[in-house]
Amino acid sequence: MRKEMKHYLDLIPISAKQRKHQSRMTRFCIILAVFLVASIFSMADMEIQSQIQRTIKDYGSWHAVFQNLDEEQIRMIEARPEVQATARYAITNYRTDEGYTVNGKETAICGFDESFQEIMQDVVPAEGHFPSKETEAMFTQNVKRQLGTEVGDTLTLMMPDGNTVDFTVSGFMADSSMLTSEDAFGMVLNTETYQEYFVDEFQFYVQFVPYSNIQRTIDDICEQMGISSEDMQENTNLLTLMFQTSDSVMRQLYMVAALLAVLVMVAGILMISSSMNSNVSQRTQFFGMLRCLGADVKQVRRFVRREALNWCKSAIPIGLLLSLLMVWALCALLRYLSPYYFGDMLSHGVSVPGLIVGAATGMVTVLLAARSPAKQASKVSPLTAVSGNAGTTHAAKKAANTRFFHVETALGVHHALGSKKNFLLMAGSFAFSIILFLSFSPAIDFMNQALRPLQPSAADLSIISQDHTCSISDEISDHLEENPSVDKVYGRSYAYSVPARSGEASFKVQLISYEEDQFNWAQEDLVDGSLSDAEDGSGALAVFMNANREFNIGDELILEIGGEEKTVKIVGRLAESMFDVTDESANLICSEELFRELTGESGYTIIDVQFNSQVTDQDVEDIRGLAGEGVTVADNRMENAQVRGGYYSFALFLYGFLAVITLISVFNIINSIDMSVSARIREYGAMRAIGMSSSQMVRMVAAEAVSYVIWGILIGSTVGLFLNYKVFENLITVRWGTPWYFPAGALAVILIAVILAAAAAVRGPAKRIHEMSIVATISAL
Amino acid sequence: MEILRTEHLTKTYGTGEVQVKALKDVSFALEKGEFAAVVGESGSGKTTLLNCIGGLDTPTSGKVLLDGQDIFSMKENKRTVFRRQNIGFIFQNFQLVPELDVEQNIIFPLLLDYQKPDKQRVEEILEVLGLTDRRHHLPGQLSGGQQQRVAIGRALIMRPMLVLADEPTGNLDSKNSQDVMELLMKASRYYQQTILMITHNEHLSANVDRVLRVKDGVLSDLGGVRA
Repeated sequence: MRKEMKHYLDLIPISAKQRKHQSRMTRFCIILAVFLVASIFSMADMEIQSQIQRTIKDYGSWHAVFQNLDEEQIRMIEARPEVQATARYAITNYRTDEGYTVNGKETAICGFDESFQEIMQDVVPAEGHFPSKETEAMFTQNVKRQLGTEVGDTLTLMMPDGNTVDFTVSGFMADSSMLTSEDAFGMVLNTETYQEYFVDEFQFYVQFVPYSNIQRTIDDICEQMGISSEDMQENTNLLTLMFQTSDSVMRQLYMVAALLAVLVMVAGILMISSSMNSNVSQRTQFFGMLRCLGADVKQVRRFVRREALNWCKSAIPIGLLLSLLMVWALCALLRYLSPYYFGDMLSHGVSVPGLIVGAATGMVTVLLAARSPAKQASKVSPLTAVSGNAGTTHAAKKAANTRFFHVETALGVHHALGSKKNFLLMAGSFAFSIILFLSFSPAIDFMNQALRPLQPSAADLSIISQDHTCSISDEISDHLEENPSVDKVYGRSYAYSVPARSGEASFKVQLISYEEDQFNWAQEDLVDGSLSDAEDGSGALAVFMNANREFNIGDELILEIGGEEKTVKIVGRLAESMFDVTDESANLICSEELFRELTGESGYTIIDVQFNSQVTDQDVEDIRGLAGEGVTVADNRMENAQVRGGYYSFALFLYGFLAVITLISVFNIINSIDMSVSARIREYGAMRAIGMSSSQMVRMVAAEAVSYVIWGILIGSTVGLFLNYKVFENLITVRWGTPWYFPAGALAVILIAVILAAAAAVRGPAKRIHEMSIVATISAL
Repeated sequence: MEILRTEHLTKTYGTGEVQVKALKDVSFALEKGEFAAVVGESGSGKTTLLNCIGGLDTPTSGKVLLDGQDIFSMKENKRTVFRRQNIGFIFQNFQLVPELDVEQNIIFPLLLDYQKPDKQRVEEILEVLGLTDRRHHLPGQLSGGQQQRVAIGRALIMRPMLVLADEPTGNLDSKNSQDVMELLMKASRYYQQTILMITHNEHLSANVDRVLRVKDGVLSDLGGVRA
């Protein structure tokens, strides 16, 4: 049934139906802006939440830790209303090199109150209970795996002085990455027992109640009790994530993040405004008619505003819904990339603050953006509707130049440059995208400098000879190759402090063997010479570790190994070694065959393993068994996962933001050109009637687009490159000394995006022009 | 010599209850140099007829032959080129390109055809139209009558086989209307220009060679007015 019109504003949906195309474009702008802002804020919120969870797992939920407190002070702190939980804690053999051992393995010993479990999730026993008796101790789970110990068994702790103490195993708790990568055990006693055998100086951990002003409370405690700043430490990692930090570096980072969010909002506002602006200006005549029929200025303004809100009604929910889907997809991606960091992320989490910010941005932007068209519309004179040549919004002030170009090209260029304001807005918004992209791209360099991504050569597990000799049989490496959970196995043999001579000079070198994988990874460090010469055994690669020693390609070194003198030729130089080697020593890298030939040794000093995703803890224990005695088996999986997770989450944000900027530019370009064509559609109809062919029309639109793009690129690249240089200098050169480089890659990406967008922008209107009915177009209102 | 022939031209809009037959089996022919007027009430189908003859609109059935060539058997692109070379259009609301000046607007069809304008012919047309001293003015700086004169110049510049004028005086006062009619008459007499003009002003049809009337989509030939 036909809806009855009861109010002049009921005209809005009717008139919107008549102009489906423009309405769709504007609505799409709103959807996009809401979607982007909601996604960015939701993701930030979700990441912070999951980082808080992760940080609490890794570092505990305590907020401050105090040292050297006496009983009285502890009682006073505990009595404060802001304090939620407290616990005493101490550790011995933190670096696992002091000689406290269980079954021959270095063991770190902690003592703490049972209440520490509230603060540190990792110490909650996964099995058994907290050691309540003097004879009890809780161990990390690797003890159970490696020694086959069960709850109730007895283990003996050997002190560095040779004394031994027996403990009953009361339970097991989670491993820590630090201990597994050192191949060490962890052991927990209650505070009383700990005091008996070790020092009685405890640290005092405090967790405050949620939503209290933590900074102020800490300052207050320190001041009242005269605690010096050295005796107090904050859980900076956690407080930062809770926005409760006084750390200025983090403050700056927050500022940067907020600034970026504002930039996206500005871009969104610009996009919506320009789309609504051209939408209204196209209908000057329509508003003229309204005025002519007696609508007053206020009514026209209200009309435009209500129209804008009408768009919001459908566009904002759609934008929010899309952002939810996007956030879910991104969370799934993060969980897949780094289960360690993001395993706790909700799979279908909803960030209320994110959605609110998104909706508010859409709403406020639309209302703000509606202001100027509303004003413009209300200024339309009633005469416009009835005078002859209305409908063309851009009254020309100068004739197009048909002398140098074909007429269609000349007209296209004139359409672009004819109105200065329009041209500045269009070219300016293209330039804005390029500037934004270029000034933001140094953040990627910053990330790569600040968070070193995991090297391709990073090992998940290393089997290391304890006495640093070539004592690990190459059979182990063969065995590992066959293991289905192993992806790569690469061993190295080391010969340390080998006396060497080159001409007059004599010095010491380290000789290291590489296999195929390691030679491949070394490729990018090759300064000169040949990698393949080293691989086939005709010589060795020299690594610069000592600035005083120069090696040239073709130099011959005489090495003294096992009393014999052997000659090695230098066939190449590497800038650095991907593995830790002692500074100040010269390193020579050679093939396994050459190593064997020179030293007579065929075993490895280190075997590194990279696993595939199927690896289990049991596999690692099996390998430990296979490796046997006299070696340390360092399990770096947790540590690698942490590095990877940190890098991924940062990278996702940076690249995500760049993608958002690119997306906005692309859409803005497509939208602007489409709008510009819509505004002239009647004129185009007339030209078609006179005999302009479709391909000439396309060329005309293309000429217009190219004019904007060329100027946009010129301005954008100039300003953008300058800002890129400035930002790079402030962000990177100042910190790491890396000099600025021409951002060819970033420039190429954004320019290609802009050019492709312009091409796409021409396609749509061209198709419309091609399909348009000439008769309908010239006689349309 | 016959320039234009339409055969059983029919145009139907919509289907079922809302179906409108704008043209019903229209057949007629125009000789070279003839100046014909199509008269009829508003909504009778005049403009539809003109748009179909000009190739702007496609008839539902029937043929339009210009100089013996069926314009609707041509592909869209070829038809466009054929149109700009052989048909000149004059619209009620002028439809000038606002970014081009008087001279540029007049030579616009030539430019679209990548032809070099013949200076002498341009001068002559500007002279005839009385626009020589306004040649570099933009449409926005001209009066309605002047704008329509520019449109006439634009329609004549290609020496088309046929000029189609849809209510050329519809937006003009009587003085300007008279000027425009005189110009069209001149073109018809001096250049032997074939012209088909729509008008609902019976006065104007008094000067033309032949009057055609359209009523409810049916065309009837009222024959020559001039003896």
